Amino acid sequence: MVLDDEDFAEGTQKLTCPGEPITSSHAFMRGHGTYVDNEEVIASVAGTIERVNKLISVRAIRARYSPEVGDLVVGRITEVQPRRWKVDANSRQDAVLMLSSVNLPGGVQRRKLESDELQMRTFFEEGDLLVAEVQAFFADGVMSLHTRSLRYGKLRNGQLITVPPALIRRLKSHFITLPCGVDLILGLNGYIWVSKHLKQNEQEGEDAFDAEAVYSNRNDDIDDATRAAISRVSNIIRILGAHFVPLTDTLLLDAYEWAVEQEGGVKDLLNSDIGDALVSAVAARS
Amino acid sequence: MASVSLSKAEKSFIQTSLQATPPLRADGRALLDYRTVLLETGVASQANGSAKLNVGKAPLEGGGGTEVLAATKLEVEDVENGDGLDGGRIVCAVTCSPSAYPHLSSNALDEVQYDLTMILHQTISHQTLHPKNLGILPKKKSWLLNLDVVVFADAGNVLDAIFMAARAALWDTKVPRTRAIQYQAKKAGSGTGSGDMDVDSGNEPGHGLSGFDTRDMARTAADFELPDYWDEGEVLDGRDRWPVCVTLNVLPSHHYLDATTPEEASTPLKLHLAFSFPTDQPCHLQALRLLGPGELQLPQLKTLIADGEKYAKELFTALESKLRDEDLRRNVKARDKFASR
Repeated sequence: MVLDDEDFAEGTQKLTCPGEPITSSHAFMRGHGTYVDNEEVIASVAGTIERVNKLISVRAIRARYSPEVGDLVVGRITEVQPRRWKVDANSRQDAVLMLSSVNLPGGVQRRKLESDELQMRTFFEEGDLLVAEVQAFFADGVMSLHTRSLRYGKLRNGQLITVPPALIRRLKSHFITLPCGVDLILGLNGYIWVSKHLKQNEQEGEDAFDAEAVYSNRNDDIDDATRAAISRVSNIIRILGAHFVPLTDTLLLDAYEWAVEQEGGVKDLLNSDIGDALVSAVAARS
Repeated sequence: MASVSLSKAEKSFIQTSLQATPPLRADGRALLDYRTVLLETGVASQANGSAKLNVGKAPLEGGGGTEVLAATKLEVEDVENGDGLDGGRIVCAVTCSPSAYPHLSSNALDEVQYDLTMILHQTISHQTLHPKNLGILPKKKSWLLNLDVVVFADAGNVLDAIFMAARAALWDTKVPRTRAIQYQAKKAGSGTGSGDMDVDSGNEPGHGLSGFDTRDMARTAADFELPDYWDEGEVLDGRDRWPVCVTLNVLPSHHYLDATTPEEASTPLKLHLAFSFPTDQPCHLQALRLLGPGELQLPQLKTLIADGEKYAKELFTALESKLRDEDLRRNVKARDKFASR
C-alpha cells in the first residue's frame, strides 16, 4: 500500500500493520509511529494513518493514553509528595495534581496554607480514585491535572472498569446518567467509573463547598438493585471493550436495554455467546 | 498476595456488596463460582510433562486472567556420591515474572516467589504423595523430578492456579523406562583369536553371557540404559494423588471462592486448603494455611474445612475430566489425524 497525495485527500481511515510501507520518503516526512527505510516511510505500529500537510504519522490502536489539554480523566493516586500528588492515569508517565489546583474546604477562593500541606492525606491518599481535567503540560511531557470544579474530585459509591483508551471518544459530556440509576464517568484515558446515581442537588450541595462530602471515603447506602445494575453495566462495558467497540452514551444505553430484555442474570453476560449476541444486537441498532 | 492499591471507598463497596443479600460480586458471579479456567497440557516440548493454565482470561483478548505455566524435568542423580535419595525426590520452584507484579520491587518479588515455592514444595514433595517409579537402581541412581512453575500474570487466586497447573504437569509427566545393565569381564580363554578387539561373542558356543546381558537383573547392576530412546516412557505413579488447592476467602458471615485481585485486597482472611483424592481411599488434607489479619473461631474452621473439601472435590473432578480430554486430544486424536492424512 503505497499512498500518494490523492489517497490522503479522500479522508478515509487506513489501517497499517507494523513494517508496512506507507509512502515515499521523498514526498513526505516521517512522524510518530513510522520510520524510513529504503526511501520509504514505513509504519512501526498497527494503527491509523494520520497526515498533517507533509507529515505522516501512525496513531497506534493499542497504546497508552496520550493526554490533551481539557481532557477528562479518571486517575488513581500513587504517591503523596510535597505540595503535589502523583496520579496514575494510564499514561506513559504519572500525572501530577498540584495542591494549588484542588478545591479545599472553606471556600473556593481560600488561600493555601502551610497546614494544608501537612494534611494532604486528608484530601487524597494513596489508592484514592479521582476524576480530574488535564490542565497543562510540564516541560517533560507530564500532564498536570486540576479538580477545580464541583463535578471533579474523589470518587465513591462504585467500581472502576478499564478499557483501551482508544475506545473512549470525545463526547459532549463524559458524565453519563443511565436510567437504571447508574452514573458513568468515561475518562478519556480508558478508566471508567461506574457508580450509583447522585441527584443534582446532592452532588453540588449548597452554595458552600461541602468538604466533608467531597473528600469523604465512606460510601452512601446503595440498595441491591443499584448494585446489580452497577455490575451489569460494568460487564457490558467489559464486553464492549473486549470486542473493541467504541463507547458512546447511546450505545451503552442500547446495550443496557438489550441486556435487561434478555432477562438473564448479571453473570450470564460473562458467557461469550451472550457477549457476541450483545455486540451484534447493539451494532444492528445503531 | 498481590497488594494492588485500592481506595477505601472501593474496598468498602466490594465488602458491602459481598455481604449484601443476595451477595453480589463485581462481575456478577455467585460466591462459589470460578472464573473460566483454560488448560492445555504438553506445551513445553523439552519437558517431561507440562501444562499451561489461565483463570479468567478475557474473551477475545490476548491478555487478562491469572496465567501460570508448569513443567517437570527429570534428571538422573547419584545416590552414593551425589545429592540423590534412594527412590528419587521432587523439588518444586515457583518463579514470578516481574510483569505479573509490576508494583513490587525485586526484593519483594523474591519474597513472593519464596513463599509460593515453600507452599508448593512442602505439599508436593511430601512422602505420602511420593511416586513409586522415581528410583532407577536401588542405592545407586534415582530420578530427580524438578517441578518448575512460572507465574506470568496474577489476576487473583494465584495459589489455586499454581496447584492446578502443577497437578496437570505432574499428571502429564512420563518417566523414561530404564533397564539395569552390568558389565562382566570376559572369561579367560574365550575369543582368543580376536586379540584385544571387543567382538560380539554371544553366539559362540561355550560362552555364557554377553557383557550387556540384562536378563539376570542382578542387584549388583552398575548402570542403566534407556531401552528405547524415542519412547516417552510410563506415566508418573500416583497420578490420582496429586493435590488440588482451594482458597476460601472468609468474610465474617460467609466465604467465597476464586477472588479477583481487588477482592483479595478487601478480604480480611484467606484459607488455603490442599486436598488429595486418592482412588478408593478417603481424601487427605495435605496442606492448610490461614492468612490475613481477620479472626476465626475453631468451630468455624472445622466447617470451613468440610466445605473446602466439597469444593476441592468438584474442582478435582472437573480437572480430572479435562486432563483425560487433553490426553485424548494429544494421543488418540492426533494419531487419527495423522493416519487420515
